[in-house]
Amino acid sequence: MSRLKAEHLYKVFGRRPEEAVSRLQQGADREELRGEGTTAAVVDASFEVEEGHIFVVMGLSGSGKSTLLRMLNGLLPPTSGRVLFDGQEVTSLPPKELREVRSKQISMVFQHFALFPHRSVMENAAYGLEVQGVPREERQERALEALELAGLKGWEKSWPDELSGGMQQRVGLARALATDAELMLMDESFSALDPLIRRDMQDQLLELQKTLKKTIVFITHDLNEAMRLGDRIAVMRDGRIVQTGTAEDILVRPANDYVASFIQDVDRSRVLTAGSIMEGRRGGASVDGAGSAHVTAETPLADLFNPLASDDAEMVVTDENGTPVGVVDRERLLSALAEEPQVAQGSNGPRDGEQEDGTEVKAGA
Amino acid sequence: MPDFHPGEWVESAVDWLQGHLAWLFDFINSVLTGLYDGVNAVLGGGEPLLMAGIFAVIAFWLRGLLGAVATFVGFALIDSFGLWSDAMSTLSLVIAAAVITIAIAVPLGIWAARNKAVSGVLRPVLDVMQTMPAFVYLIPGVMFFSIGTTPGLIATIIFSMPPGVRMTELGVRQVDGELVEAAEAFGTSPRETLTRVQFPLALPTIMAGINQVIMLALSMVVIAGMSGASGLGERVYAAVTQVQVGLGVESGIAVVILAMYLDRMTGALNQRVSPLGRRAAAKAAAALGSMRFVRYKPGTAVALSGVVVLALVAGGINIAGSGDDDTAGGGSSNVGKGEKVSMGYIPWDEGIATTYLWKELLEQRGYKPDVKQLDAGPLYSGIAQGDVDFQTDAWLPTTHEQYWSKYKSKMEDLGDWYGPTSLELATPEYVKGINSLEDLKGQGKKFNGKIIGIESSAGEMKILKDKVLPEYGLEGEYDVVSSSTSSMLAELKRSYQKKEPVVVTLWSPHWAYNEYDLTKLKDPKGAFGEGEKLHTVSRKGFSEENPTVASWLSNFKMTENELTSLENEIQNAPKGQEQEGVKTWLKDNPDFADKAAPVPGGDVKKGKDAGKPVNMGFFPWDEAIATTYLWENVLEDRGYKPNVKQLDPGPLYTSLAQGEMDFQTDGWLPTTHEQYWKKYGSKMSDLGAWYDETSLELSTPEYVKGINSMEDLKGKGDLFDNKITGIESSAGEMKILKDVLKEYDLDKEYKVVSSSTSSMIAEVERSVKQKKPVLATTWSPHWVYNKYPLKKIKDPKGAWGEGDSIRVTAKKDFKKDFPELHGWLKDFKMSEDDLNSLEAEIQNGAKGEEKKSVRKWMDARPGLVDKLAPVK
Repeated sequence: MSRLKAEHLYKVFGRRPEEAVSRLQQGADREELRGEGTTAAVVDASFEVEEGHIFVVMGLSGSGKSTLLRMLNGLLPPTSGRVLFDGQEVTSLPPKELREVRSKQISMVFQHFALFPHRSVMENAAYGLEVQGVPREERQERALEALELAGLKGWEKSWPDELSGGMQQRVGLARALATDAELMLMDESFSALDPLIRRDMQDQLLELQKTLKKTIVFITHDLNEAMRLGDRIAVMRDGRIVQTGTAEDILVRPANDYVASFIQDVDRSRVLTAGSIMEGRRGGASVDGAGSAHVTAETPLADLFNPLASDDAEMVVTDENGTPVGVVDRERLLSALAEEPQVAQGSNGPRDGEQEDGTEVKAGA
Repeated sequence: MPDFHPGEWVESAVDWLQGHLAWLFDFINSVLTGLYDGVNAVLGGGEPLLMAGIFAVIAFWLRGLLGAVATFVGFALIDSFGLWSDAMSTLSLVIAAAVITIAIAVPLGIWAARNKAVSGVLRPVLDVMQTMPAFVYLIPGVMFFSIGTTPGLIATIIFSMPPGVRMTELGVRQVDGELVEAAEAFGTSPRETLTRVQFPLALPTIMAGINQVIMLALSMVVIAGMSGASGLGERVYAAVTQVQVGLGVESGIAVVILAMYLDRMTGALNQRVSPLGRRAAAKAAAALGSMRFVRYKPGTAVALSGVVVLALVAGGINIAGSGDDDTAGGGSSNVGKGEKVSMGYIPWDEGIATTYLWKELLEQRGYKPDVKQLDAGPLYSGIAQGDVDFQTDAWLPTTHEQYWSKYKSKMEDLGDWYGPTSLELATPEYVKGINSLEDLKGQGKKFNGKIIGIESSAGEMKILKDKVLPEYGLEGEYDVVSSSTSSMLAELKRSYQKKEPVVVTLWSPHWAYNEYDLTKLKDPKGAFGEGEKLHTVSRKGFSEENPTVASWLSNFKMTENELTSLENEIQNAPKGQEQEGVKTWLKDNPDFADKAAPVPGGDVKKGKDAGKPVNMGFFPWDEAIATTYLWENVLEDRGYKPNVKQLDPGPLYTSLAQGEMDFQTDGWLPTTHEQYWKKYGSKMSDLGAWYDETSLELSTPEYVKGINSMEDLKGKGDLFDNKITGIESSAGEMKILKDVLKEYDLDKEYKVVSSSTSSMIAEVERSVKQKKPVLATTWSPHWVYNKYPLKKIKDPKGAWGEGDSIRVTAKKDFKKDFPELHGWLKDFKMSEDDLNSLEAEIQNGAKGEEKKSVRKWMDARPGLVDKLAPVK
């Protein structure tokens, strides 16, 4: 069941935005509008996020991803379209109820942490609860819990300016966790951190997610991060979502050259899994599991290098029940790594963004 | 181009507002005045040094030890300038203005930060407020609110508002957008976003704005002084317009001290009130390490309790003090009616003490005592000749025997007030084995053969040399060094500190016995003679002419305790301020004054309206100063309560027309003040001229040859740099001057530089000193003609017009309110000689002491008060 649903969201800044939306719906070009001084930040964005999933929106700066995120909790009202959370239409709520939803059900983590410099770590973490009007003792208790979850136990009396960037963002995370909101919006939350710390934070988020099972919308411009975190990924360009799918979908079957150029630098061995490159034998001969090494379908290719380098034999790939579903040999591994991603419909031009719904595109190969 | 004068509309709008919204202005006036009075009552009420202590504790709290010390020194300095109450008035003005300004500016700034339209409308308004010359709204301010504190407050508020609004707007806008967004993302309402996030984060900038507000408010006090707000501004304004450089500098320094205090305190306040400031201060303190104690600041609670304790003490003293004032001021204590009493004294401690005691007592009783310090000889001969009325320090029968026997036929003994005294030699107690005069024999070497004496004229010296030394066989062994009492005491102090043996000539009572451990050397042979008594002696006839004072003096008694404590108080008072010591002592002995100088049943010639306050205004023209202070003195003698206020002509006429002021003496009519009379004449009354035949003219120093008439000026422009030094551009004479120049065809050749009367006089002085040619715009009567060798340039064409007469002008209902005074003023006349000598007396007197100078002039003219203000 999808917790969060965005339907044909448009956001246009500038003069007469409604008119601009109807022109966009009739196929007008974004550049055309820009010439008239109106900026279409988000154009016809639709997606659904399942409960407990991390949905990553990926795009370069100016692609409209942050605008999209802010429409989800009503910080920016959409020009057209609607957002449904738990079946409730967020976009049509009156201000007071919208604030209620924000304080209890949707929390947010910011790119530059947005910690209040005049409040201690504890007071920052407890901010959301304070707004809700939770009594002092309870909110301190819950803030402490959240800080502990974020790995900041013992720092609650410190001040934000005494903490490193990574620790500051942990405070930001604790602040978002403390309210027990089901939906967390994370706006490039790790982008401002050093690569090593960023990785730590990603690991921690995945770790937390195992127990907390929040529904998360995560914005990033870093494809590696998107692939690591995202259960599903939406790639945005020029205000439009050009492809939505799993990491593998995007890596193996990029919707267009734009996406393809994006994924060039991705470490394929860490994204592709044994299951995605195995030679299936469901239809023909059964897989003989005896004697060979076993790996699960989710094993990343990087983990196959060692066994396959020393052994000529095939690796048997099993499903979650241990039933063999296919095999991978050395040749298959190498060709998978060497493979150039194939764009579905061979338009090589720079302006191939017209493709509105990348999910429908089937990858060849 | 068609003429366009929006000013006319404003003028009629002002008229309309005056007529229709008077209730509103009255309301604003009472609110502002009330606020100011409240603050001033708190600040001005306390004992200066205690208040300085309170300020220092606040500085300690905000800035640490160094700030506290600097604050105390600074405020003590203001007090020592004698500007304390002025400084407190100014501080109250600044605080009242700042409170109102901040209460308006901060909400406005927040509104502007959150609303672009408001911001857009406010910006030009703020620009106007900041750049419009303050005089422009100060004058309407006087029209609406009358002179006093309110127009000054309003001008200050208008002027200091813009930075408060701007900095608040900037501060709120400056808050990181992501933080505001974060607050919104967690469901914070706009109002709470303001109070929880934007305001605390903007506070450092807002505090900087408040600092600016306060500094600008302070910079406006001088201008506020022009509209009659009391305080340092008034002092500075008066000093500048009357060319009193010294007073100007002192007031200026006081303003600077206040400014620095306010600036540093509000600057540091940020560290206390804003969370970010506290955070920064904590970090700085942590970084300081071992030097922390220098920056130690007491906690808020500690500082607060310090302030409260000092405030309570100050309040307590104030209540006690005001009680004293009541007894002193209660009843009709003006027995003397300004009668002059001349006192002389020899600078001996008990003489100084009692003389200043009587000076203070006589002043309290309305006399004008004059005190002269003299040597004994001149003093006695002065009394004998009648130049000095009395002295209190006659040692009889021994010490002053020579004088008494010589002059006793021309003197009266008003009895003794202390006794018996004793004369003696004394040594410090550490000189062992010397207890009696007999012990001195053979010890001459120990004391270098010296006995430290006092004035050679003193009787004690004579007795010592002629009787005591031969009696004890000390002649030859000891040399009596005659010097002075103060040298003797200095020598005693020096020896005492070094523990050297010394023998000094002393007497009892003397404070030296309190100060040092001394042995009075016994006189077993009685060579010093019997103890004496201290008598008050007066000139012959004093008790007849001045029975009241004489009876006080005959009944005068002092105990040793009273005398030594009074001497000590005077010793502790700063040099030259003996009377301050007396005042302090009288506070500790509240009953003394009434016991020593009881007020007899009133035989005072009071006016019919005695006790009624009279408001007199003047602008700083010399004849105005002279006559205003003259009438202030006269009215005080007649029991009125005159209030004198210096104002510019515009505000003065306005307030006369409104009935805020009762009268002024310097109306130049029909020409010079024509503009004011035209406008307000119908709302005023004219009490007639007291001086006729004034004239306006240009003048030049006598050493500038060949310039005697206006016609001579033609073609001589180069000589004077083509410049005529003018006075205030608002003066009528300046307008006429332009026509005069046209008449003599000089308008192309000469440029009239408008400045102020004081600048004009300064320019004349400068030129005369350098013997340079100068053309000054002057008028008669004026003391400038007495002081500098100026000649009036003749006006053969009569272009300057007829001379004005100087008239007393008053409010409309003056005759009804002050029938008696109305009569006096109507008959008021002054000759040029009288006026010139009065102005000269003021010029020669101390600056800021005009009233005293006038009193001096009046004292030289007995019967003047009865002539000016006859009472049946």
